[in-house]
Amino acid sequence: MDDLRTVSKDVDANNTKISAKNVQVYYGDTHAIKDVNVEIKERTVTAFIGPSGCGKSTFLRSINRMNDTIDICRVEGDIRIDGKDIYDRDVDPVQLRARVGMVFQKPNPFPKSIYDNIAYGPKIHGLAKTKAEMDEIVEKSLRRGAIWNEVKDRLHAPGTGLSGGQQQRLCIARAIATEPDVLLMDEPCSALDPIATSQVEELIDQLRESYTVVIVTHSMQQAARVSQKTAFFHLGNLVEYGNTDDIFTNPKDPRTESYISGRIG
Amino acid sequence: MTDISSGSLPLTTTDKVRASLAKRHRKQRILQAFGIAAISIAFLMLFILLWSQIATGYKAFMQTNITLDIFVDPAEIDVDRLPRGDFDDVLTAALLEKLPNVDVTDRAAVREASGIFSNGAQFDLRDRIVEDPSLIGQTINMRMPVSDPYDQLYKELLDRETPEELRRLNDVQIANYDQLLDAGAITSKLNTDLITNADSRFPELAGLKGALLGSFWALLVCFLVAFPLGIGAAVYLEEFAPKNKISDFIEVNINNLAAVPSVVFGLLALSVFIGWFGLPRSVPFVGGLTLALMTMPTIIIATRAALKAVPPSIREAALGVGASKQQVVFGHVVPLAMPGILTGTIIGLAQALGETAPLLLIGMNAFITSAPGTPFDSATALPTQIFIWADSPERGFVSRTSAAILVLLTFLIMMNAIAIYLRSKFERKW
Repeated sequence: MDDLRTVSKDVDANNTKISAKNVQVYYGDTHAIKDVNVEIKERTVTAFIGPSGCGKSTFLRSINRMNDTIDICRVEGDIRIDGKDIYDRDVDPVQLRARVGMVFQKPNPFPKSIYDNIAYGPKIHGLAKTKAEMDEIVEKSLRRGAIWNEVKDRLHAPGTGLSGGQQQRLCIARAIATEPDVLLMDEPCSALDPIATSQVEELIDQLRESYTVVIVTHSMQQAARVSQKTAFFHLGNLVEYGNTDDIFTNPKDPRTESYISGRIG
Repeated sequence: MTDISSGSLPLTTTDKVRASLAKRHRKQRILQAFGIAAISIAFLMLFILLWSQIATGYKAFMQTNITLDIFVDPAEIDVDRLPRGDFDDVLTAALLEKLPNVDVTDRAAVREASGIFSNGAQFDLRDRIVEDPSLIGQTINMRMPVSDPYDQLYKELLDRETPEELRRLNDVQIANYDQLLDAGAITSKLNTDLITNADSRFPELAGLKGALLGSFWALLVCFLVAFPLGIGAAVYLEEFAPKNKISDFIEVNINNLAAVPSVVFGLLALSVFIGWFGLPRSVPFVGGLTLALMTMPTIIIATRAALKAVPPSIREAALGVGASKQQVVFGHVVPLAMPGILTGTIIGLAQALGETAPLLLIGMNAFITSAPGTPFDSATALPTQIFIWADSPERGFVSRTSAAILVLLTFLIMMNAIAIYLRSKFERKW
């Protein structure tokens, strides 16, 4: 449990993929995110950590505008992906979500076949013209989701019949089937057992090669294992953001240190 | 701190819990007893209902018939005059052959004897001869329903011990009947006429075909109107409408609508559909529209509940891959809610099937002797047919009323069974 070794892979001198400036999020009268500024690097795994209710999931859901579906939620400030303001009038959230995939806390495959789970996104966006193209997308996505070998013989079996860990990898494969640039993961392992967790973590590390991954996690060990950058949230504030190594070994803010050493949280 | 004042050792938690246990268990037992009693009473009532209807209704499922060899006398029936002819005379002649005691010249005696024929018998014979005129001059064997008093006599509903002047059949008629019975001319068989005949003034000929078809057309119209409108309204209110005072107001009113007495809907339909729109009276189309008014709130409420029951994770999943709101709703939420929607719809239609008051107001209780071929033909419905028969003075309608109730209950049970089947078959574990 005290394994706080970090993935000591270097963060390449990457470009900024997502930049947030002075972001405020309100739920009705509650000020959930207070003035967050962050620059998330391309092809990097960035972990959001912090105690429950600190706003890390809320901020994550602002990046693909999932908060739009909540009536009382209001987002202010500036969030840009590749320099483009995603809250701009001419940005359609539907289009944005095709580029910014999301994986949720609880595995939530559609109650359809494995094949249809993957094919749904490409189908509604018109990414495949023929059945052969669709087959190719499905296979590629399942391979990238590291689940192809387990399901290739039963693509037409229901996705809900898989185990929890397989379902979550299916959901990751579904999220990358629309060829997004960014993958948001909201505590993707919290409903999984340790073996499934390590499989998903391994997958996240592989995904870094092609995608910008932002992962919200409760587990500091997980953040240390999979991420290169870590942001620590506390009571709606982004307290500290930096290389995962630095955050875990040499936190600058006393609150970060308290959290990491287990005194708050 | 001041517990010492009790003078004894302080009670431990275990002791306190034990002290209250007996009382708590007793309360639970009382509650269970009440529950069992309530269910028993409900079942008892159901049993009494079914038993009383079956006890009186089962006799209507059998019909007493008379079988005679009929000589189709060319003197009475002329092939050139068809379909006219003295068919009743031919029937009477065949009957009198079996009853040698009856004096052929005594017109009153002959009339008394021929009362055993149902009013429909001569028309049955006519239809058969019109269909095949070569039968004229031949002897044919025909089975016909007997008239109501003789049917009652066969079923022992007419008491021979009753003084003659109070009886519907006099001693001579009963003697004739016994003679025919001994000769094997009187038989009883399954009464298929109950389903294949339309209504009639004569109980032995009255059937439910008109009512069944009337109910079928009315329910079809009701379904075609209420199902799409109900789902549309529910989906809009649940998924798209902004949550504000107006949508709250609409919601309250839909719930109210479901509780409005059906007779009010009947009056509304009478003034709107028949009064303003000038649609014809007594037709299943108007009946269906009226029932749709009543069924729609049920469907809306059931659909909204079913939509609410679809877990948010499925909506998030679809939104997450970039589905639009409309794709989320119609691609995922509505299909997943469909078992619940169908269950609610079937229960709503079952209610509509048993609804009587609004149909009375739009005239679907008329006396109509032909089954409706389309929703625009005058008809009755099952519950209104029960109403009409229950109101008829002839004794034969008593058992037919019960039989019609049994038929209606059978359909209701079938519909509810389908609803339960759908619910259990498509129930999902998330």
